[in-house]
Amino acid sequence: MAQTQLAILMASVALIVIGVYSAIFIDNIIKKIIGISFIEEGVNLFIVAIGYKAGGVVPILMPGMDTTWFASNAAYPLPFGLVLTSIVIGASTLAVMLALVMVLYRRYGTLSTKVMLADTSKQEEYNE
Amino acid sequence: MLEFVLCIIMVLSAILALIQKDLLKAAILTGFSGGALAVLFQILLAPDVALTQAIVGAAIVPVFIALAVKKTQRSDD
Amino acid sequence: MNELIPIMVIVPLMAALLISAFSKFNKATKIFAFVVAICLPIIPLASNYGLHYFGGYAPILDNVTNVMYHPAITYSFTFLQQIFIAIVGLLTFLVVFVYLTKYKKVSGPYLFLLFLGTAAVTAMILTDDIFHMFVFFEILALAQVGIVAASSIDYSYEMALKYMILGSIGSPIMLLGIGFLLALTGSVNVTDIATAVHNGLVDITSPVFLMSLALIFFGWLYASGLPPFHTIKSGVYSKAEPHGAALLQSFTVISMISIVLIMFRIFSTLPIFEVLIVFFSILAMILGVSLALTQTDFRRMIGFLAVGELGFIGLGIGLGTTFSLTAGLFQALNEILITALLFIGFGAIVEATNEVDTRKLGGLLAYHPKVSIMLLIGGMAMAGVPPLNGFQSKLMLVQASLNCGYPELSILAIMVSIATFVVFVKTFYTMFLKPKPKDLELENKEVPRSMIFTMGVLLIIIILLGIFPDVVTTGISNFVGGIL
Repeated sequence: MAQTQLAILMASVALIVIGVYSAIFIDNIIKKIIGISFIEEGVNLFIVAIGYKAGGVVPILMPGMDTTWFASNAAYPLPFGLVLTSIVIGASTLAVMLALVMVLYRRYGTLSTKVMLADTSKQEEYNE
Repeated sequence: MLEFVLCIIMVLSAILALIQKDLLKAAILTGFSGGALAVLFQILLAPDVALTQAIVGAAIVPVFIALAVKKTQRSDD
Repeated sequence: MNELIPIMVIVPLMAALLISAFSKFNKATKIFAFVVAICLPIIPLASNYGLHYFGGYAPILDNVTNVMYHPAITYSFTFLQQIFIAIVGLLTFLVVFVYLTKYKKVSGPYLFLLFLGTAAVTAMILTDDIFHMFVFFEILALAQVGIVAASSIDYSYEMALKYMILGSIGSPIMLLGIGFLLALTGSVNVTDIATAVHNGLVDITSPVFLMSLALIFFGWLYASGLPPFHTIKSGVYSKAEPHGAALLQSFTVISMISIVLIMFRIFSTLPIFEVLIVFFSILAMILGVSLALTQTDFRRMIGFLAVGELGFIGLGIGLGTTFSLTAGLFQALNEILITALLFIGFGAIVEATNEVDTRKLGGLLAYHPKVSIMLLIGGMAMAGVPPLNGFQSKLMLVQASLNCGYPELSILAIMVSIATFVVFVKTFYTMFLKPKPKDLELENKEVPRSMIFTMGVLLIIIILLGIFPDVVTTGISNFVGGIL
């Protein structure tokens, strides 16, 4: 089943590339933030794919299972625990960013990054 | 076989979300991508991660984005 | 008393949550925040050195391969952690004190962010677990963004959003690097990973290992504000309130050294690692000082100088000998103190004059003599004038690079120190000594007493460390001997 892992790695790389591209090149701030959430999803998918074992079982020890068989067949659960934390962190970061965008929209009336996040040092010089 | 389809759905909806002119549609497509990822986690033997991702990725994140879009503007220009 | 080790993280975290929940009781919140803040520097000084395993899972010895495995999240507490946590605790206390005396009505969320940041850096420097460090790194990034956004300076929201967007590209990339390491070794414990790398279980020339170095290094550059992130970092400092900026720079320095020490333990077998660190440090030194020369906003200038000083820390760590690592870590300690003093001092000037442009200021020596004398000493300490602490650590750095056979680096370090001195003297002259411009209206505003007290405390530590550097360097040198 190496094909599955290959496909998943390619999908996660595709998500990361799409995310980085949009975070850098797209002008609309909400789309930038959506792109950032895709980077996070790609990284999460990659880390879960590390723990995956082809033909294995879910790493939950049920009563009546043979322990040695379980140890050699279960997927590696450590990456799954990490990804759980990382998903929640990603969602909270996204929420804070969107809150900042909502405040800034009230001031500028646009979602364009070129207007919103123009170099502030230059803006101060214009004001003088 | 299912995992290939899910990978394709995920990447396609990500790309579609970013080329959408309507930001609300972009938010919904983000939810598609997150939901496909949740099923993919289930296939990768991580049911606990799949549950969290299903809630966060398919419901909470799109709702946050949709709320932000409602408070700001809907079209991308 | 090893139970005190997790308490160091738990106390500020719990205090943060309680303060934000009960912030409507103004008086009680003030007293509570003050008491907690006073505890922060005392706990690490009262605690014993040792290890703490969460959940009590002690390390397991594998009988076949004779290797120790660490199943629990481990906190290791040695002299280095003690001194840095005590200093950041003291700084938090001083900043909270300045904040509490400045405003009659305290803001719960702001105090929440200050304590949250302190808890996050404390956990980052204590932990021996690379993912645990990543989690607190993210929390720290959120706290920093909050501290910037909460300030009343123009364009602070824009700066906060910019910092956050860069951060949310930087931190998943760092997580990807951690994922590569996890795929290679199957562990997130730094001691286990380092053992696996040094025992040859990991092929150190494999592209995956190199890639993980590159990705974690990118995250480190973002965390520490080295180039290409120097502009955003100095911008963040200049958009925060002065006492907030004093705390923010200490967060930056501590997250920088805690990540770099972890990277050093894992990747030090790769020769390119040290070259990379030295390269970016030199870039930071040169860019920081040369950009500081061109600034007219003095908060921004201090921000760039602070980034330049980070380069000295990186230089010490990149050279990779015991002596140079000691020098770099000692420089980190000094920088926390000196930059905090400068930020709070210049913040006092902003408070008294409402002006940040050096061209419009002048003749302040007659109005604020105490602040100006303390700022002068602080600036001299930053530039490395004897007998202050900056001199001691920079002297050690110059000696270390000479010992390693790179006289070019020591010449460069001396030149950057001189340039720092020039920048500082130029700013000091235009602000304090040059005749007062006619259109500058100074209402006879006093600098708050709490700020003077804070600066005095920091200045005393700076002078003491300058006269007795051995108090700290011996302990740090022992620690460095342990990780090499």
